[in-house]
Amino acid sequence: MSAPVPGDAAADRLAAMPVCAPVAGRVVAMVEVPDLAFSTAIVGPGLAVDPIRVPGTAVSPIAGRIANLHPHAFVIVAADGRGVLVHLGIDTVQLKGAGFELLIQEGDAVDVGTDVARWNPADVEAGGRSPICPVVALDAGADAVSDPEPVGRWLTAGDRLFTWA
Amino acid sequence: MAELAVTVPDGVGLHARPAAIFVQAAARAPADVTVGRPGGEQVNAKSILAVLALDVGGGEEIVLRAVGNGADQALAAVEKAILEPDAAYG
Repeated sequence: MSAPVPGDAAADRLAAMPVCAPVAGRVVAMVEVPDLAFSTAIVGPGLAVDPIRVPGTAVSPIAGRIANLHPHAFVIVAADGRGVLVHLGIDTVQLKGAGFELLIQEGDAVDVGTDVARWNPADVEAGGRSPICPVVALDAGADAVSDPEPVGRWLTAGDRLFTWA
Repeated sequence: MAELAVTVPDGVGLHARPAAIFVQAAARAPADVTVGRPGGEQVNAKSILAVLALDVGGGEEIVLRAVGNGADQALAAVEKAILEPDAAYG
């Protein structure tokens, strides 16, 4: 983790924020996500989780408020304004919500680990799509991702994935 | 100030991939660029968080505004990113 630059107001104001795994699974580098928008990090820097292929519940990776909620994707904004996007699988917008059950509403306050949506990664994969879940730091530079969990490590939903420095 | 109304193509709207391409085009412009619904609040078009939170669906009309150096070029570039997002990948 890089030390805050003395006198840098932004670095002084924003505390290091753990960003947690929204699903149980294996850590995957963003560059391995089979969608150019994520793998080239134009959406933003982060890390992905390749979920266990069993029915599961996606949870909030940070505490905050649900700023945008779709069956297959959601954005949480922390109290300090930093936003994290979770995308449940690739090209899952095409499913138009089929196979996803939302457990929460836009605007709701959440903690780390609050249930957001039920889904089945095995069904997503059976439909010919990757169930990999990118977890993206929005409006952040590449250096926002610090101390990432190693690629290949198995995590439980709610385990720390990386720290937003 | 330059202003342009654009109808987002049918489909997913300004979500993950199209939103990122849109924001990237806006961020390249030296002008300040904002986006909103007709008559609605304008948000920073260079912020992926702001654009995702705006939650623009396919087929919706949005209003782009640009202020400053190269405002017209900025709007043209952003409009192209909306209408032809795949062109961003060459």
